[in-house]
Amino acid sequence: MEYFSHSWLPYIYLYGIGGIFFFSGVYIVWRSGAIDLKKPHHRMWMKIFFFGYAWFMAVHGLLTIFALR
Amino acid sequence: METFHNIGTSTDWIVMVVYFLTIMLFGTYFGRYTKDTSDFFFGGRRFSWWLITMSIVATGVGSHSFVKYSAKGFEHGFSSSMTYLNDWFFVPFFMFGWLPIIVYSKVRSIPEYFEKRFNPSARFLATVLLLLYMIGYIGIGFLTLGKAVIPMLPEAFHIFGITLDVTLMRAIVVIAIITGAYITFGGQTAVIFTDLLQGFILIFAGFMLFAIGIAYVGGGQAFWDLLPTTWKFPLANFNEPSSFNFVGIFWQDAVAGSVGFLFMNQGLLMRFMACKNVNEGRKAAAVNILFVLPLSAIVVGNAGWLGKAISALSPDIISPNTSPDEIFVVVASIVTSPGVFGFVMAALTAALMSTVDTLINATAAIFVNDVYRPLMKYFRKSHDDKKVREKAELFAARLTSIAITAAGVLSVLAFVQFPTVYEAHGYFHSTLTPPLVVAIFMGVFWKRFSPAGVITTFLGGVALMILGARYPEIFIAPFDHGIEMNPNHPYSYIRALYNLVVCIGVGFFVTYTSNLQNRFITWVRNTNNGQLIMILITIFATLAFFLLVFGITTFELFYPVIVILFVPLIVTYFGHYDEELGTNGLTVWSIAAAKAAFKGSTPNELVGEKVEVHFKLLDNDIDKVLFSKNDLSQMGAKVGDLVYLSDKRKWLGGLKSIHSEYGEPHDEEGIVYINGDHLDHGLFDEGRSLIAEKEM
Repeated sequence: MEYFSHSWLPYIYLYGIGGIFFFSGVYIVWRSGAIDLKKPHHRMWMKIFFFGYAWFMAVHGLLTIFALR
Repeated sequence: METFHNIGTSTDWIVMVVYFLTIMLFGTYFGRYTKDTSDFFFGGRRFSWWLITMSIVATGVGSHSFVKYSAKGFEHGFSSSMTYLNDWFFVPFFMFGWLPIIVYSKVRSIPEYFEKRFNPSARFLATVLLLLYMIGYIGIGFLTLGKAVIPMLPEAFHIFGITLDVTLMRAIVVIAIITGAYITFGGQTAVIFTDLLQGFILIFAGFMLFAIGIAYVGGGQAFWDLLPTTWKFPLANFNEPSSFNFVGIFWQDAVAGSVGFLFMNQGLLMRFMACKNVNEGRKAAAVNILFVLPLSAIVVGNAGWLGKAISALSPDIISPNTSPDEIFVVVASIVTSPGVFGFVMAALTAALMSTVDTLINATAAIFVNDVYRPLMKYFRKSHDDKKVREKAELFAARLTSIAITAAGVLSVLAFVQFPTVYEAHGYFHSTLTPPLVVAIFMGVFWKRFSPAGVITTFLGGVALMILGARYPEIFIAPFDHGIEMNPNHPYSYIRALYNLVVCIGVGFFVTYTSNLQNRFITWVRNTNNGQLIMILITIFATLAFFLLVFGITTFELFYPVIVILFVPLIVTYFGHYDEELGTNGLTVWSIAAAKAAFKGSTPNELVGEKVEVHFKLLDNDIDKVLFSKNDLSQMGAKVGDLVYLSDKRKWLGGLKSIHSEYGEPHDEEGIVYINGDHLDHGLFDEGRSLIAEKEM
């Protein structure tokens, strides 16, 4: 694939390895009780975490698609 | 490479001088809110999230600089923005791990955490590493400022028949004197408010430049079409060129840099600690990373993208050989008119000064907290009277700010050899952050991590990093992901991966072999000449470390091994560590205990409402505020809970506010009794309403 090393390869690496760090973080703060899902504002933070991850994935994904077009 | 001088007109200089005077007066005005070292360093822990979010813009944008991102935008396109869009991965760790721990444990600096969590030796080593990191960061800031200003200056000044050449170092010295001025007399509150103003101006100036530039090249479509395809990708090429590649920058910036920025940048942490509570700090961080940083990426990089488009449109106007570090100034001078250029340049340089100011303030905080106070305590020169002690510490903080500014200027010498500021910063981050980042991370998230582990991570990690720096083709090459080694600046970015791996490896090795170390120490303690054995081991380890540092290459490969094997034994033998005391409330596994320790009793989690009150003065110095029984019940509060009391005007962002404790209630509804100290710190206005809310 043309430009693969400049487009989807870094994208996969970023959200693959970065995802390992991110989801480990979510798991640890949940497992340790630091984030308590019984509290409404903590549940909101959990949603914000996942929104943030999806938000940056979408931004990078869309920009890559536009560049390839 | 083409370089420039004398860009700009006298109108631009007038605009810049007026801008700077305005900003300095603004900062000096808010300096009056500095009453003690808590205000000087932390702004009194009272601000709203939006105020801190905007004040972080100037710090973040400044530190990541118009100069270096425009340079990479010019050389490589939109991928210059990738370092602004990769900070989310460590946010859960930060928001629910590190931030509550540093706030609730009431530490004033990162090294102080190391003493509470481990021991004084860990604090000492953390102080040394952190001071090196902060002073280096200040140096990078000065270098960037110098490079931004040089194209606007003539090649030489002629004063009284003497010709004074304008050199980078001379420009930096002058800048340092100006920069040191208001931080020395203002403190954190002055910096926060100066940064707040500049945050708005920066975003405005950056987008204004982008809009004018796009119009200059013929509109949005023309701009897009002028850029080559590879300039349009949001991420860099995976592993080439060596000066700018995705994988190296991922490990240097997204991993070491992001953790470094969120976990060990004392300047940024002090901003979050200036928020009125932990949740406000979380909001400030989330809004900043999710929305403000992506906008900032456009603000700082667009001049480089415009430079590339103009260069493709007409190489006579901007040569492809233009020095990348000067592209921001060149583009701004071409697309804007006189006066507007001065405004853009003023916004840029003022932002950089904000970054440097924040760092100087933060470094002074570390020095006073981790060097001055322990020394005063050791020599028994600490005053018993709190007010006298505060005054002496504030004076020391101001003197330290001056000394740190000078050290920052000197540290520039270490970075001038790099072709661009971006590479200098990348190398700096890859090299200095890993030991501290790993130590903080393992300390916060791993209960088993002990003083032996952390001290060996510092010393053994540094030893292995030195080895890697000396023989990159042997040690770093296995981690290079196919990046070609540049012999002049070998593996500027990907070395971060090697450095992280060796530091983590040392931490794991020492922790998982702690049983063996304990058995050895038990044996040593039971032998007659145990102390002699340990003294010899200490001498060997010290010798090995310093021989490696000073480059004595005989048996060089064995020195780190000696350090990694012997240091844990030394720490276990000579040190004392109570695991319960060292971890309770100081790791992510006991945040509830940290919160209870912060309050001094069990936190009251009952959800209450905010109430509006008027204040009356009491003639006492007890740190308690008294509400009516009805107001107390409306807030869901009990006597002894913590309360936050602020001026009703939301736009003040908490500037006029205090934290205190609920005292015994009375029957005058809508009235709160405060004392003279509360009035003095809160700067409340007579007759104005206050809003009270239960903190915990």
